[in-house]
Amino acid sequence: MAEIQNSNPTIINAADLPTRLRPTATRKSEYGGIFTSALPLAPVDFESALSSDSEDDNLMEEPIDEQEIYDLISSISDPEHPISLGELAVVSLPDIAIKPTLPDVLDSPLQTVTVLITPTITHCSLATVIGLGVRVRLEQSLPSRFRMDVRIKEGTHSTGDEVNKQLADKERVAAALENGALMGVIAKMMETCH
Amino acid sequence: MSALQSFMLVVDHDKEEAKRIAEGIAQDVETKKATLIDTVQSLGEYINDEDPILRGKAISYLTAIIKAFSPKYLSRQQIQVLTTFFCDRIEDGGAVDGLQALQGLDRFNKFLATQVAQAIFSNFQDLQSRSQTQRFHVYQLLNDLMSNHRGAMRDMGEISLLGIVDIMTGEKDPRNLMIVFSILKVVMVEWDISSHVETLFDSVYNYFPITFRPPPNDPYGITAQDLKGRLQECISSTRHFAPHAIPALLDKLDSTSPNVKKDALSTLIACIHSYDPDTVSKYSITIWEVLKFEILNAQEEFLSENSLEALQAITQRLSEGVTEVSQELPLAKFLQPITKECNEQLQEPQNKKAKPAQSILSCVAAASPVSFILVVQTVVAPIFTLYQEADGIVKQRALLETLNVLFEAATTVFGQWTTRGGEAAIENPLLEFKDQFSDLFGQALMGAAKEEVSFRVTALKGFLRLSTLRNFFQENEIGLFVQYLDEILLKEESVGRNDLKKEAIAALAEISKHKPRLIVDITFPAFVATLPEEDEGSDALYLPTLETLAQISVERDIFETLFRRLFSKLSILLQKEQPGSVAYPRAILATLLYVMQQRNMEQDQSVDLYFDRVVVGLCRDVAAAAAGKAKNRILNDPTVLDTLGRLCNLLVRSVSIQKQEKVAENVYSLFSEDFVPIPFTQTTSADQERTIIVSTYLLAGLSKDCSDKIPHTNPDMSALLLDLVHRSVSSTEPATHQAYLRHLALLVNKFLSKQDVTIAEKLFDSLLQSRDTESQSLSPATIRTIFWLSKALILRIAPTTTHIITSLLALLSSQDQQTSATAAQGFSIILGEDDILSATNGATIRLLCRQRLFTTVIPLISSRIREVNIAGTDDSTAAPKSPDHIKPSHLTALAGILSTIPTALVMPELPTLLPLLLQSLDLQTADSVAVRTATLDTLAVIIRDNGVVVIDQCGHVQSLVTRLLKTTATNVGPGAVNSPRLRADALKCLNLLAKYQVPGAAANARVPPGISPLLPVKNQVLRSLRAVLDDPKRDVRKAAVDARAAWLRGVDDAPEEEE
Repeated sequence: MAEIQNSNPTIINAADLPTRLRPTATRKSEYGGIFTSALPLAPVDFESALSSDSEDDNLMEEPIDEQEIYDLISSISDPEHPISLGELAVVSLPDIAIKPTLPDVLDSPLQTVTVLITPTITHCSLATVIGLGVRVRLEQSLPSRFRMDVRIKEGTHSTGDEVNKQLADKERVAAALENGALMGVIAKMMETCH
Repeated sequence: MSALQSFMLVVDHDKEEAKRIAEGIAQDVETKKATLIDTVQSLGEYINDEDPILRGKAISYLTAIIKAFSPKYLSRQQIQVLTTFFCDRIEDGGAVDGLQALQGLDRFNKFLATQVAQAIFSNFQDLQSRSQTQRFHVYQLLNDLMSNHRGAMRDMGEISLLGIVDIMTGEKDPRNLMIVFSILKVVMVEWDISSHVETLFDSVYNYFPITFRPPPNDPYGITAQDLKGRLQECISSTRHFAPHAIPALLDKLDSTSPNVKKDALSTLIACIHSYDPDTVSKYSITIWEVLKFEILNAQEEFLSENSLEALQAITQRLSEGVTEVSQELPLAKFLQPITKECNEQLQEPQNKKAKPAQSILSCVAAASPVSFILVVQTVVAPIFTLYQEADGIVKQRALLETLNVLFEAATTVFGQWTTRGGEAAIENPLLEFKDQFSDLFGQALMGAAKEEVSFRVTALKGFLRLSTLRNFFQENEIGLFVQYLDEILLKEESVGRNDLKKEAIAALAEISKHKPRLIVDITFPAFVATLPEEDEGSDALYLPTLETLAQISVERDIFETLFRRLFSKLSILLQKEQPGSVAYPRAILATLLYVMQQRNMEQDQSVDLYFDRVVVGLCRDVAAAAAGKAKNRILNDPTVLDTLGRLCNLLVRSVSIQKQEKVAENVYSLFSEDFVPIPFTQTTSADQERTIIVSTYLLAGLSKDCSDKIPHTNPDMSALLLDLVHRSVSSTEPATHQAYLRHLALLVNKFLSKQDVTIAEKLFDSLLQSRDTESQSLSPATIRTIFWLSKALILRIAPTTTHIITSLLALLSSQDQQTSATAAQGFSIILGEDDILSATNGATIRLLCRQRLFTTVIPLISSRIREVNIAGTDDSTAAPKSPDHIKPSHLTALAGILSTIPTALVMPELPTLLPLLLQSLDLQTADSVAVRTATLDTLAVIIRDNGVVVIDQCGHVQSLVTRLLKTTATNVGPGAVNSPRLRADALKCLNLLAKYQVPGAAANARVPPGISPLLPVKNQVLRSLRAVLDDPKRDVRKAAVDARAAWLRGVDDAPEEEE
């Protein structure tokens, strides 16, 4: 393994990472609190939990949003440290955008996800690998109507343009993914995805 | 033929016979029929033979005879002669054994021991070229000499030392090494080794690191760990080794193999524990310089943990006997570079290396009071400075975390308020900073912006640590913290996930263990004051308050206060004409119930008081309310009665048998003289009938010994049971109906005597016969009664259990759709958990009842479904086509039973069961959602516990995967429904399939050798899941992503290369 390039990066506390807040206790009328363990509501034997998820809930759509993309990629670990990209602030929520790919065509389902990557140091040679990892994770996890655009955030890397060219070049990405050693590194990075 | 000749003939193939011959001779010698000299002389013609095998056999003959002598027979002189004889021929087989027998005798002396040792050292220079067994015998002899004649061996000095090292050098067999290491350890510890330290050290260190791997089937019964342990004892045995051992071990930390590093670290730790403090001190800083790297740049968690352990061990050794703090101490000199390094790393406390620096400080500070003082002296002041200069809250928080780590170490060293004994003689150095801490943490907790939850949580945790630290804060200072917590809980809005409030509650609960008075004096008045007189119908703001009170009131004194306060609130409510919503009294009762469940009420001295107030007092009120004599209808509400019932149940269980007998007598009259009890009453109002809820809970709490005190049970229970059956079949209010069912089941299961069980069985049959003769239908209420009665009987495995089960199954085939469907749902009741008919309440639940039900039901359901399937496909109208509802009903019943049975029971039946489960997944309509959910749950457990293999063995991988994939689809056609929960569950099963290709394998486990049974369907799964990635529901998409990743990663054709 090569010499570690940035041995002491800044880490964001896990508690401070952006998360999706679940609407807690949707049914206010019933106990959501600690007494539920002490007090199962009056026992029901028959007509069991048939309608546990009601029709309304089932029909409500939850479109893919930025937070969901963030959750997909923030748990990838850095190839250098056993620390996640989210904790290292390599990926961050404001740097993710989802836009229609063809804004002029109404009803087109095609969407483009843009992810900007901030390397921990400006000369990080692993930026390409990280970018590739993010790309692979998204390709494996998003439906086919999504287009990926993974780039280095402007001004955060000394050879950002070069890296971006590589990441945008389909041929080169495909060739890289044929490389066993590289895929090994990427697979290891994605082991921590949950 | 002489005895010698016959011995030599048989010795190779018949050990027993050889032994018998030798014993014969020994006896002859002992009884003076022969002489020892003759016996020795008889060897004459063989012991000089050319053939070593012949010589060996002859010597073995003598050895066998010696072994057969009684221990005291041989005289000193004889022993001497024999020893010399054997020593001369020590290289011949059997001689070593003979010597071993001789040296164990009482008359064997020191001089002889020396002679034997000499013989070994001079004759076995070539030991390593001999066979393993021979070497083993020699080592054993040496080992025995070492234990029986240690003085003699030690007096030989360097002769024995070098002799032992010489003959063992080059030994490779693990069995032999186990002995060799233990012999060498004695030499190292007890001999004067000063002039041979290096020789001795090298003789063992050559084996480091141990790379031995036991061969398959483990023929020696020796593990690598055994060898490592013995070797480690040698290396750490004497401080003289330190100049060689410590640099060598530190060198090994450069290895690329984590296992070698691990061995080196654990040996290093053993050395630190074993060498004397002066020696440890000499190398302490060198060790730190090396370990620093391991900790700050941790590659593997366990290496950093072991390194920290080593640092802590050094700190502890250097603290031994130190009572005065001074900078001249070796301990201080050792800690200086450590605290310096940590202080540097903590300059940027939010960087990666700050965390390991904190761990280092924590482990050395917690090692001893003196080390704690030294660390605090150098670390705390700079942190204050950094905190003041910090440019952001993130950095400040990281600094608070560092302080928290120190507080934790302080707790280890000085203990908490509740720690008994062992007070440190030295004053806590943190006291110097007490006021500063109080200000800093108070400011951080209460002064920071409300959104900075994680910052405030960190401050809260630090404050809590200090508040529980023994002899640190004054009462009023902890009181201030309690007030802060009250304020957070009562006045602040919730932010985000409510973490701060959760922590605040936990902190109050923690403080309640140490300083209960503060909670009673400060928190209670503040909280109780916010409780309303009645529920005015707006948001139930009292609920969070009650929840908090419940969680902090587990301590005895606090609970008494809670009970008094809440009970008086409740009493006032019961007297009101307009008491507002019943949710409020119910919540009050639930609070008391929750706390009582957390406490051990049987041990509580005030339990009789609670019993009188709640069980006797409130039950009377219930009776009064039922008779319409109460001021309001709180105690007429079924949910209030249910909660009250649970409370009574718990208290009844906790009181003496005398009190329980009183309860038994009053179970229906509810301690009232003018209340008309339910059983056998002709006219009853709904209010009156509802008291059965409380009665049932009272009955459940009683011991079985109270059976004969229960009213209406003489001469037997038949009349009472019949009355209850009528009432449960005819009652209309759900809560009352449920209570009747349970009451009936409780009597039958717990209180009905063995000889009277037939009463219940007859009731069961008569209920079944009550069906409508034309439509074959039974009312739902009747079916429920039947099932509850069955539950009571099956749990105690009544004699007619099989008859009961088959009768229940027959209901499923009823022509009446309603009857069949209701009965199908009933099957989950039989073994389902129930709060009343529970083991806690002393219900009769026989161990084998689950197995009994399951093994009876499965074949019957399986064959019935096969019949239905055949009848469905058969065109010939010979067999009457059964109604469509029969198959779903059977599958529902199956799902109900499976959900209440441990998978261990399910596994043997898997080949029968799996096709049924697959058919359950084929159901598509909305009303089958529950069945399919239960089926997926069962499948998930089966896969998790047993892996794909079991499914592959039944040949169902392909059909299972196809059905799971079908269940993940959103649009499946008209009338068909896959709810989001179902889709997510199916994906979970797919995920588990890929994760558990080997039984019991954890996530991310290695792919099993050979080709995965999932490989043929891999592409199909990946393709289908791609579409599911676009599911409208987020949870489903998440499950799809995880499942797809598991298949991409885990399902492979080629096994991965061994490392």
